[in-house]
Parts: sequence; structure tokens; C-alpha cells
Amino acid sequence: MKRFANSVSRLGFVAAIAAICLSAVGCAPRQSTTRGELVRVTEGDFRIAATRRLAAGDIVIRVKNRGPDAHELIVVKTETGRLPLRGDGLTVDEDAVQHDEVGALEPGSPGSVRELHVRLTPGRYVLLCNMSGHYMGGMHRTLVVR
Amino acid sequence: MRRPASEFRPFAPRARRTIVAILLTFALVSALSAALSIWTTGHSRHRATLLEVAARQRTLAERYVAEVELVRNGQQADPGRTAALLASSARALLDGGTAPAVAGDDDETALSAVTDPQARAQLMQEQRLVTDLSKTGRALLAKRSVSSVPLTAHERIAATDPVQRVRVLAALTSNVALNAARTIAQQTDRNITSSIRLQVALGIGGLAVSLLLAWALIATTRRQTSLFRSLVTSSTDLVLVFGRGGCRYVSQSVVSMLGRPEAELHGSGFDRFVHEDDRTALEAARETGKPRELVLRVRNASGQWRHLEAHLTDLRTDRDVHGVVLNARDISERVALEQELTRQAQRDSFGSQLTEALEMADEEEATYDIVERAMVEVSPVSPMELLLSDSSRANLERSAVSVAGAPGCPVQSPFSCVAVRRGSPVVFESSEALNACPKLRDRPSGPCSAVCVPVSFMGRSLGVLHATGPEGEPLDSQQVAQLTTLATQAGARIGTVRAFERTQLQASTDSLTGLVNRRMLERQLRGLLRQGRPFALAVADLDRFKQLNDKHGHEAGDRALRMFAHIARSSLRDEDTVARWGGEEFMFAFPDLDRHQATSVLERVRANLAESMSGDHPVFTASFGVTDSTRGETLDELVRLADIGLYAAKEAGRDRITISETLPDGPGLTVVSEKPPDADDKQRPHRARPAFHEAANEDDPHVSGLEIR
Repeated sequence: MKRFANSVSRLGFVAAIAAICLSAVGCAPRQSTTRGELVRVTEGDFRIAATRRLAAGDIVIRVKNRGPDAHELIVVKTETGRLPLRGDGLTVDEDAVQHDEVGALEPGSPGSVRELHVRLTPGRYVLLCNMSGHYMGGMHRTLVVR
Repeated sequence: MRRPASEFRPFAPRARRTIVAILLTFALVSALSAALSIWTTGHSRHRATLLEVAARQRTLAERYVAEVELVRNGQQADPGRTAALLASSARALLDGGTAPAVAGDDDETALSAVTDPQARAQLMQEQRLVTDLSKTGRALLAKRSVSSVPLTAHERIAATDPVQRVRVLAALTSNVALNAARTIAQQTDRNITSSIRLQVALGIGGLAVSLLLAWALIATTRRQTSLFRSLVTSSTDLVLVFGRGGCRYVSQSVVSMLGRPEAELHGSGFDRFVHEDDRTALEAARETGKPRELVLRVRNASGQWRHLEAHLTDLRTDRDVHGVVLNARDISERVALEQELTRQAQRDSFGSQLTEALEMADEEEATYDIVERAMVEVSPVSPMELLLSDSSRANLERSAVSVAGAPGCPVQSPFSCVAVRRGSPVVFESSEALNACPKLRDRPSGPCSAVCVPVSFMGRSLGVLHATGPEGEPLDSQQVAQLTTLATQAGARIGTVRAFERTQLQASTDSLTGLVNRRMLERQLRGLLRQGRPFALAVADLDRFKQLNDKHGHEAGDRALRMFAHIARSSLRDEDTVARWGGEEFMFAFPDLDRHQATSVLERVRANLAESMSGDHPVFTASFGVTDSTRGETLDELVRLADIGLYAAKEAGRDRITISETLPDGPGLTVVSEKPPDADDKQRPHRARPAFHEAANEDDPHVSGLEIR
């Protein structure tokens, strides 16, 4: 019962966060910059909030890290949505997906806002933070580009 | 800091305040730098400890995973203790306190609370992950469902393998701990960078402030120097500084006064302009600093001697000066004024004394005496003379001579004298000069200088006051002024006395005969005697005048007297004088004639008298006694001599002229004229036998002495 309550409360919490994130993203008007369409991505411990669908083309990904930990952002194109792990079972094997990596941002401190310029062709992409344990801790997001 | 422009304070001690401000700035900057260094060093040391503890969390998390697996595999391990270490270390990192010792790694470490908000958020996240890790670990070992362990750090672990979950949580814990350590390190680095920047800024600021203050100090010093310079250069006072090598500094006023460049006055250069009589005093003053007050004579650019009143300040022991400062001012005008006042006072004194003396002189003779004494007052060594013209003559006579002798001017008439013609004093520097008076040349005493001051009365020239001196050194202006005063006052007095005498003369004319009276003639005779001018003197008496009066009446007697007076006056030269001596006696004065020449004139009188004895007028004759100025010393003697001659003429039968040569104790008388041959009583010339009897004539109080019957 208690466990159920916990899970309900957790689900509620997650739903609330998701709702906030979605509303934030959803309400934000799509903007275009001179270098491409702007996509807002919010990172936090330990999740990535972003739109799920996007038109192909030049994209400016504006990443805000809400913290409290530092986070990086890697964009990998993958048809399966699954990424190979290193031997430790904790981080994605970046060498294995090197050819599929569209772009990456080094770890940014909490509160920072950075931009990543990418050209996305139609397909399925994963946005992730590959710091130790972060991917496994929930920091990944699938993005479909048409 | 800045004073109002109106204030002029060259002595204000502003520099001291500026120096203190510079020192304070240096001290403040140094203290702040030292404090910052200490603070930075402390922070660096603390950062190292923090990083050590934060980094240790990763090891502990990994050790925890290993120990959990060991326990699961049935081996001996104590993951609970490691979890406790993780938790207490995470707490100590966040809120300060003691981080526990880890066996085999390090000792207990004291930590202070982390203040940076970002680092604190990360450490709190770490704390939550440590909790999640240890709970998950405990659930695993207790063989409970790991998935049901609530996760508090927002992690969403998809893996269902319990060991994998623990490993993910351990990885997250160590990663967050490392990131927190990195954040702390970056923050500390920023602090240190700020501190270094602050120190550099402090150094630059301190240097800038010091430079500004130093500039202000220089400006203040320059301003004060400028103020002092303006004081010294604008002052009309003369400032000189004397050191061991002579003059070391002269102010601009000295340069402009002497008309020489400054460099030429240094050393002994200034001394050349000092009067040689004052040099010794100046040398002594700059050697010893005394006397404090000094009067110097200095020759200026135009060659004049200027009097300087100097004040000395002895600064030989002053380490900046090493000398004597002389501050002087030109007091020449004051000295000249004082001298002029002294001269004026002397002149005034001379003038007032002269006035008083002259007021007491009632005769010309007395005036001459005073003039002679006044000449000595003017100069006892210069020859001087007063040349005066008689009112009746045009030629000049030497009336007064100073004790130093007479210059002997050969001028004859007043209008031959240039000073008289000009009507103002004339000074001749040298008798040899082209423009000198010709009468100064060829004097026996040789070349000379001269001063000639005209003497006048009511615009009419009376003569000249003449003084001589060595050639080129005439009497000074003071003496010339005194001579002018003397000439003016003497002229006024002489003129007054003469006018008075003339009035007296007019008042003392005999009313019956129109002749001057006895007193006036006496004065004239005395004047001739004093001048040493020769003259003859005769006394006449009408014969048998008493009988004529008795027989024909007083009317006839008066007529006889008037007739004799008329005949006598018309028979004489212009310069001769006849006066009624009293009763029927008359006195004659013949300037420049001797007794024989006078006798000739008197013979003419007798002849004219005899010729006029016609008509109804009773006949009468006169007897004469004659002498001259060579026969006696005084007027009394000469009158007595003439009287003796008259007596002798009477004795010899009257109507004759007898020359009297000597007084009775002398050789005797000479009868030079007798009564005409037609007279009854014919007598030969003979020696007179004087027989005197005293008789006071009660009718005429002026007559006294001898009466011949």
C-alpha cells in the first residue's frame, strides 16, 4: 500500500515535472534564428526535457542546465533507439557510435545556457548525457526528425 | 585642502601633511596586500583538504559496491560502515565539521561549511544519492526488492538488476561528488584570481595615490618656492648672502641698482661698489655676523653714492645657508633730507643770530663789525670782504674784511661787478676757467675759486660780498646760502642806517645858515679817519662878532653869519664840507687835501669875503686855524690843533690863516696868511703863544672846549 502510494506520488511528481516541461516547451513559440530552427532543451538531475518531433534541417539546440550537477549533451542518430554500453555497464560506448554522433557539448555547469548547431536529417535521434552513471540514471531522450 | 586664493601663506607647513598621507597610503596598501595573501593562502589550503575529501567519496562509493558484492558472495565485509563514512563525509563537506578518518587512506579532517550555492546544491544532491545508494545496498543485502527503494535524487534507473542499480547509484554518487569538488575548486580559483586582481589593483591604486600625492607635494613646494621667489624678487629691498668665498647671492634689486650682471657681483665683486671707508665694517660684519645694523655707501649704476641701511642675520650655523644674510634698503633720500634739515637749522640759527646782532647796530661802523664776525661763522679760513659804494659816490670801498684777509677784488664801481649786474650770487669754480670773472685773474695769491653775492637795499645796489677759496673748491652751497643771508641782512641794515643818517642829516641842518651842524661833520670826519683817507681840517671864527652884534644889532649879526656861510660854501669844492660849529665858529673838512692845499682854498674864501664887503653892510673878517690828518691820531687831537691855529691867528691880529703843525708840546705854529696890507694893524708872522681859558658857552650847549677871545 505504502509502496503503491510511493509509486503514485512518484508518478504524480514525474507527471507534474513532465507537464511543466512540456508546457514550457510547448508554450514556447517555435523560433527561427539565422542559422536554423531553435530547439530548447532543458537538462537537470537526471533527465532531459525536449520536444519529441522535429522537422529536418539546420537546428540550433539551446541547452539550459538546471543542475545541480554538471551535464553534457550528445546527439546520436540511431534507428533502434538503443545505444551500446561500455564494459562497465554504466556509460554509452561513444567510440562505437562515433559515426552516428551528430554533435556534442562538453559538460556545462549548472545555470549555463549553450547552443549546439546541427543539421538533422529525418530519422530517430537520442539526446543523452554520458557522464558516469547519468545515462543509466535516466538522462536520455528520443527525438524523431521527419 | 586648497586654501582661498586671497590667502598668501608662504610658511604654511602643507608638505608635512602630504608626506604623512603618502606614508599612510603605503601602509594601507601593504596591510591590505598582506591580508589578502594570508586569506588566499588559507583558502588554498582549505581547498586542497576539501578536494581530498570530495575525491575520497568516489573511492568510498566504489569500495561500498565491492563490499556489497563480497557480502552477497558470502565473504566478510562491512558495507554499512563504508556507507556511514560516505554519509558523514558528505555531511561534513556540506555543513562543515569533521570528516572521519578512512583506515588506510587518511586521518580525520576538519572542514568548514561550503558557502557557494552551486557547490552546496551539488553536495546536497550527493547526500541524497548517498542515501539512495546505502538504502538500495541494504535492500539488496536484505534480499528485498531493490526497485521499491524510493529514489530521492530524481534519478530514473531503468536497470532492474539490483547490483546494476547499486553500481549506477555509486557511479552517480562519485560523479556528483567529483563535480562538486570541481565546482569548489573553480570557485576557489575564481576567488584567488579575484584576490590577485585586487592586490594588483591595490598596488596600482596605491602607486597612483602616492604619485598624485607626490605630485601635490612637488606642486606645493614649487608654489611655496614661487611665493618666496616673488617676495624676494619683487622687493625693493636689497638682499645679499655672504659665505666664506664672499658674496654668494644678490637679489634682482641689487643687480638693477648696480647695473651689473649677477655673476659679476659674486665673490668679491660686490665689494668694488662699496665705499672704501665702509669696506672694513662690511668685511667684519660678514665674518662675525656683527654688528646687526650697518650703514653702507654704495656706488650705483650712474655713479652716485647711495646710503644703504643694512640689517644682518647671522645664519652661518644654518645648514642650508652657511652664511650671513644682508638685507638693506636705500635711505639716501632720508639722509639727504636730514642733512638738508641740519643745514637749514644751521642757516636759520645763523640768520636769526645775525638778525639780532644787526638790530643792535645803530651805525654803519657797528654793522661792519658784525659782518666781519659773521664772515668767521661762515668760514674762518676763506678770505672775504664787503665792498660798498657810498651813496654819494659810484666807486666801491672795502668796508669789512674777514680774519682770513681780504681777497682784494680790484672792482671799482658796483656795475663793474657781474654779481651786482645779475642781482644774484655767482660762484666761480676756477679763476682760470673761460667763463670766470676777469677780475679774479692774476691775483697775487694765484688761481682761486670765488663766490660773489650782491648787496642791495630796496632794489638799489649797495655793493658786493666777495669770498675766495682754493681753486676748484669753492664754498659749498650751505656757505653760499649763509653768505646770501649775510648779504641780504647786512644790505638791509646798512641801507636802513644810511637812510636814518640821511634823515638825521636833514634834521640836523642849521636853520640860520643852512649848513650841517657840528655833529654831522664830526661823523664825516670820523669816517674819513677810519677809512684812512687823508683830509685837512680848518676852524674859522668871525672877528669881533660881539662888537658887531652890539653895534648893529642881532639882525646884522645873523646876516653876517648867513653871508659867511654862503661865501664859504660857494668857495669850496663839491667834496668839501663846512659846518656851523656853534656861535660864530665854523668848521671845514677837505677830503684828500693837506693843510697847505686847504689853506689855498681858505684864502679864496677870505678873498671872496673881502670882495663882498661893500654897500651898507657892516664890514667883518674871519680868522682860520688849519691842520690836516697827518698831524694827529684822533679827531679830538686834530680839532684841538685847529683851535690852536685859530687862537694863534686871533693873537696875531685876526683876519688871517694859521697852520697848526703840532700840539703845544710840539714844534709850534705857522702863520701862513696875514691880514691884507691895507689893514691898520700890520703884523708879522710869529710863533703863537697859546693861552687857554676854559669857558662854557651857556647859549649853545653844543659848543664846549676852548673859546678864544
